[in-house]
Amino acid sequence: MSSGIRFQSNPEQQGAYSILPVWRRLVSLLLVLAAVLLIIVLVGQFLEVRFDPRFERVAALALTPFALLLWLFISVLPEYRTERPRRRLIGVAVVSALTASAIGLPLAQDFMRISEWLPLQSVFQRVLGYSLSAGVIDTGLKFVVLRYLIYPQALRVRSDAIAYAAASAMGYSAFLSVAFIWRLTPAWDIAAVYLLANLAVQLASGLFIALGIIESYFSDAPLLVLPVNIAVGALAGGVISALLGGFLSGPLTTAGNTARPLLTFAMLLAALALTLGTVYFLYSNSERREREAYMSGWAPDGI
Amino acid sequence: MEFETGRSPAIQMTPRQRWSIALSYLLLAIGFALGVNQRDSALNQASIYSNLEAGFTASYPARWLLEESGAYVFRVRDMSHRGFNTVIEVSTAPVGADTSERNILDQLSLQRSQTLTDYTVLGYAPYPLPDDSRAVSMSYSFVARDSSPFQEGLSAVVNGLDILSIRRGQAVIVAFRAEASIYRRELETLRWFIQNLEF
Repeated sequence: MSSGIRFQSNPEQQGAYSILPVWRRLVSLLLVLAAVLLIIVLVGQFLEVRFDPRFERVAALALTPFALLLWLFISVLPEYRTERPRRRLIGVAVVSALTASAIGLPLAQDFMRISEWLPLQSVFQRVLGYSLSAGVIDTGLKFVVLRYLIYPQALRVRSDAIAYAAASAMGYSAFLSVAFIWRLTPAWDIAAVYLLANLAVQLASGLFIALGIIESYFSDAPLLVLPVNIAVGALAGGVISALLGGFLSGPLTTAGNTARPLLTFAMLLAALALTLGTVYFLYSNSERREREAYMSGWAPDGI
Repeated sequence: MEFETGRSPAIQMTPRQRWSIALSYLLLAIGFALGVNQRDSALNQASIYSNLEAGFTASYPARWLLEESGAYVFRVRDMSHRGFNTVIEVSTAPVGADTSERNILDQLSLQRSQTLTDYTVLGYAPYPLPDDSRAVSMSYSFVARDSSPFQEGLSAVVNGLDILSIRRGQAVIVAFRAEASIYRRELETLRWFIQNLEF
């Protein structure tokens, strides 16, 4: 594999191509999206503004296209201003959404019947259950999409895998969000939390898949690195899903139990930050090690 | 715009990478099988109900709610289901020497037709019990509405099956009701319940 690696000391002289940076765009997207969703949650919680139910339903359903539009404007359209854009981003997102619709949701809902047995389990059982059911299904399907659409034909640099994994997570979570909001018709602020939750779950597992693909493809890592990363992705999705129910439902009191969207929102942001931080650390570390290994093989004259 | 270190786009996968992908699929398949196993063990987990006074011992799904206060010996309900909760209700009634099973079922139908909306008897059939004796079953349907008029929601079509057996001078009635859309699937739970019911 090492024979295939070709770093360029001077990109302009050796024909390197400009590529859109992924991490900054991904963080910008999440920050803007989180800020908008937070405003919705705060308005719902503190101002207790309630609109006509039909308007609220349409507004809740419109949140998903809004998130997709943000992704298009921040991550996809700027690609086409570069010399070598990542052309399959939209394709990966669309195929992921279709996969969620055709296989992911029916498998989790009708075959695994998650809602019938998992919410009643203990925390540990819930983490295990969500990881082995929804986690494995979602992570597996996203991996299959990435494997057949981008791995290895669309991988030029490490950040490509991150960009495509994020696209897959966007598409997959968009369909799940629309399905949940359509079926459960939650209030606007709760719909905002659902949207962020779906994105956090899918992004967490997607980023670990990307990390596995990067290590396997660019570093020719040992056999188990890719499967272990996929397993960690499923576990990360499972942990967030398991915590979601507990955080969202308040304690049962004499006045009944109320939803806690703000607390859930904070948990989801923390989970996203932790996942992004961990994956970015491992990503940079791996890139730095490979760069150092390559540089150490160079003669002083750069030949 | 940033320049990143590039790599040849025409790199083929090495055998190690191919094996790694195959191993990933294998791991996902194992994980999925473990998930199915966990689902089955959670769905099939049973609790034991015993009532020495009435002479009943039964196994019921552990996640279902057991109730004993009502016009029945006991009943178990699947509270996790949205809409009409699937229910198995066991009750007894004293019978005279010349009372037939059909008399009791007709009496039940008369009572229900006054309390349940659109109650319709669908048919009668013999029902074999685990001890090789035969009970009589009556299938019916009705429309269930939420008890609170302020709750939003559509009415549900419910299918029911009564299994009646006369023993030691009393009629034992196992009444099973589930939403029509999941009735066939939930019948498996009833069969399992009857298999483990001792009276």
